[in-house]
Amino acid sequence: MSAPGKGDAVIHVDVLVAMANQIGDFFAPYPPGQREEGVRNHLRHYWDPRMREALLAHVDATGGAGLHAHVLAAAKLLRAAPAEKSAYAGPPKA
Amino acid sequence: MPNPRKPERSVVTTCAYCGVGCGFRAETIGGEIVRMIPWKEGKANHGHACVKGRFAFDYYRAADRVKKPMIRGSITEPWREVSWDAAFAHAASELKRIQAKYGRGSVGAVSSSRCTNEEIFLMQKFARVALRNNNIDNCSRICHSPTQFGLSATLGAGAASQHFDSILQANVILVVGANPTEGHPVFGSLLKRRVREGAKLLVIDPRRTETADSAHCRADVHLALKPGTNVAVLNSLAHVIVTENLHAERFIAERCHPAEFAQWKALVGDPRYAPEVVGPEAGLDPEDIRRAARIYAKGPNSTIYYGLGVTEHSQGSTGVMCLGNLALSVGMLGREGVGVNPLRGQGNVQGGSCLGSWPHMFTGYRFVTDDAVRATFEKDWKLELDPEPGLRLPNMFDAAVAGTFKGIYIQGEDPVQSDPNQNHIVAAMAAMECVIVQDLFLNETAKYAHVFLPGSSSLEKNGTFTNAERRVSMVRKVVEPLAGLEDWQITVRLINAMGYPLHYDHASQVLDEVARLSPAYGGMSFALIEREGSVQWPCGPDAPLGTEVLHTKTFPRGKANFMLTGYVATSERTDERFPLLLTTGRILSQYNVGTQTRRTGNVAWYGEDVLDVHQVDADARGIRDGDLVAITSRYGETQLRARISDKVNPGVCYTTFHFAQSKANAVTSNLSDWATNCPEYKVTAVELAKVPVGKSAAAATPAEVRA
Repeated sequence: MSAPGKGDAVIHVDVLVAMANQIGDFFAPYPPGQREEGVRNHLRHYWDPRMREALLAHVDATGGAGLHAHVLAAAKLLRAAPAEKSAYAGPPKA
Repeated sequence: MPNPRKPERSVVTTCAYCGVGCGFRAETIGGEIVRMIPWKEGKANHGHACVKGRFAFDYYRAADRVKKPMIRGSITEPWREVSWDAAFAHAASELKRIQAKYGRGSVGAVSSSRCTNEEIFLMQKFARVALRNNNIDNCSRICHSPTQFGLSATLGAGAASQHFDSILQANVILVVGANPTEGHPVFGSLLKRRVREGAKLLVIDPRRTETADSAHCRADVHLALKPGTNVAVLNSLAHVIVTENLHAERFIAERCHPAEFAQWKALVGDPRYAPEVVGPEAGLDPEDIRRAARIYAKGPNSTIYYGLGVTEHSQGSTGVMCLGNLALSVGMLGREGVGVNPLRGQGNVQGGSCLGSWPHMFTGYRFVTDDAVRATFEKDWKLELDPEPGLRLPNMFDAAVAGTFKGIYIQGEDPVQSDPNQNHIVAAMAAMECVIVQDLFLNETAKYAHVFLPGSSSLEKNGTFTNAERRVSMVRKVVEPLAGLEDWQITVRLINAMGYPLHYDHASQVLDEVARLSPAYGGMSFALIEREGSVQWPCGPDAPLGTEVLHTKTFPRGKANFMLTGYVATSERTDERFPLLLTTGRILSQYNVGTQTRRTGNVAWYGEDVLDVHQVDADARGIRDGDLVAITSRYGETQLRARISDKVNPGVCYTTFHFAQSKANAVTSNLSDWATNCPEYKVTAVELAKVPVGKSAAAATPAEVRA
C-alpha cells in the first residue's frame, strides 16, 4: 500500500485498482460489451465520485496500470456515458 | 420455594439480540426490569425464547453504563462531563469546522442494527440533510450487505422470501454458512422440529455445527467444505441440476428470462464445476455433492436458509446470487415451504438495510442517483440533496488512512472491535479529528472518540424493529432512558445543532415519514402494528396487512434474473508460513462483540473465546487442550486458549469474537466482497504456536492476558 498522504486521491489508488479489478472478475464471464457495462454501472452507481475521479486520474497518468483490460475499458465508459443511464440491479444491460 | 414476586408492570416489546426478533413481556418491580417472559402471541417466536433474550437483560443497568455526555480535545485527554446542549454544540461545531477545512465529503456517519428503524432512518437523514452528503452506512455493511446486493440482482428484493413458519411446509432444508441452533436459537428450534417431522436436512458449512449434528438434528448430507470455496461448491450443485436435467423448465420459461438461463446453464454446466473437479478442491466427496443436489432439486418443497458463512467472503455477493440461481433453477420460490432466506445476525439488520442507511440508496433500495426518487425526498425535506453515492464504511476508513476523511458519527457500533484488520481500523480512527460515539458504554472505539453521547438501550425507547422475515414489531419503552434521551432524540438534537430544523413529538411520527417516502413500508404505522401485533413488509394498498411470502405471482422486476457466478478464489491463501485457515462464528449464550451479554450472568456459560483446532494440527505443533496459543496472520497476532475439537477438519481452526480481549480481528484481513466491501471474516490464513508457560502473563488469568 502507498504511504499515507501520498497524492490527492480520496483513497490510495492501489486500493481502488484492486477493488475495480475484483468487480471486473465478477463480470468477466459475461460476453464482451456486457462485461464492460456491468463494471461501468457498478462504478457509476456504487462508488463515491471521488473514487471514480481518482481511478480515472490513474488511467490518465499511467494508461491504466494494473487494471484488467475490460475494467480499463469500463473506466473509460464512465466518461463516454456519465449519467444518462439509470442505475439498475441484475445482469448488465449492454 | 416462594413464588416469584408479582410484577408491578408488564410491557410487551421485541428482543434486540438476533434477527429472529422474539416478542417478550418485560416485567418490572420498582422501576427495574426483573424478568423477560417470552410472549405467546409473538408471531416470530410463538412463546419461545433463548438464553440471550430470556436472561441477558441486566446489561442496561451495568455499573459502567455512561449516563452523561462527555467531550475532550484529544484522545489523550481525560473525558469531561458536559450538558447535552454543550455536547451537541461541540460536536456540530467540530463537524462544520472539518467540512470547512477538508470539504463537505470529509465526514460521515454509521448507524446500528441494534437501533430502531426510526433511529436508523434519522441517521441517514442526518448525513443527507445535516452533513449534506451521502457518507452514511449501516453495520450490515460488514455482515449482510451481500444479501441486499445478491438477492436484488437475482430475485429483485434484498430480503427473505418467506416467513419463519413457512419452514413447517418444507420437505428439504438447505442450510448454508449458518448455525441457527446457536445463532438464531428460536428459529433453530423450529428447524429442528421440522427435521424431526421428517424433512431432509442438507448443511454446507466448514464445521460440524450443532445444526449439522446434534441429538435431535442430523444432516442427511453435510458438505464440510474448505473455507472460501462456497461459490465453487454451489456452482457444482447447479452443475448436477443442469447436467442431470433436474431443472424446472416450466418455471424458468414462465418466470425467468430463458436466454439468461441458457447463459447460466452454459457456465455452471462447464466441466470445471463437475463435482469430480470441485470436490477435491473443496475437500468434499463428489458423490456427496451429487446427492445434495438431487435431494434439493427433488423437493417437492426445498428451502434455503443462509448466514454470514455465505456473505462474509470476497465473493459474498456472488455466493448469495448462487443461492438465488439455485432456487430459480428448480422453481423453489413463490409459495410456502420454499424460498431463499438470510438469517440476520442482529435484531434490526433487515431494518438497517430497508431504511436507506446506505451511501448509494434511499429507503426501499432506491438509488440516490435516481432523479425521480431523490426529488421525492427533496420535496419532503425541502432541501437539495447530493446526487452522487457516498463512501461506504470501509471506504471511510481507507479514506481516513489516506488523510481525506476526518470525522465520523457512530451510533451503537464498535468498529475497533468488530471490523476487520484491527490495526488498519485503529490507524483510521487515530487519524480523524472528530469521532462522535453514541453508545451505552465506553467501548473499544470510544478510546479514539472526542465526543461521547450516552445512548439508550432498546428497553428504554419506543420504535420498531424489522426482523429477518421482514416482520416489523414494536419496541416499547419499559424504563426511562438512563441518560435522559432516547437515541432518536439524540440524533434529532444533533441535526438541529447542525442548523437543520427538525422536530418529532414521538417516534411514531418518524415511521409515518418512512411510510410516506417508502412504498414497501407505505401502509406501516404504529397504530397498525399495535393492532396487528406485527406486520411484514411489503405493506401498502395491495397488502394492507402485510405480506408473508414474496414472489408468489411475479418478481419485483416482473421476471427473475439468473446471474453468472464464476468462481474466483480469494487472494487470501495458505502457504508455508500460514498453513491453516481460521474461520469465525458465534455461540448460543453470547451476542456479537459482547457489549451487552458480557455484562450479564451469561458469562457463566461462556466466559472467553477459545480456538477450536483439530487434533492433527495440534499434535503437529505440540499444542494440548487448554494451552495458550499465538495465532499469527499476515495482518496481526493474537492469543487464545486452544480447544481440541473434531468439529473442524484438519487445516481449519475456528473461534468466536465475543470478547474484546480476544482481538479476533487483529488477525483478519482487509479483503472484502467485490460488490459491497463486506469483509472476508470467514477466511484468514494463519499459523499457530504454543505460548511457552511463563512467557505470557496470560497463562494464569486467561481472560485478562490478551488485553
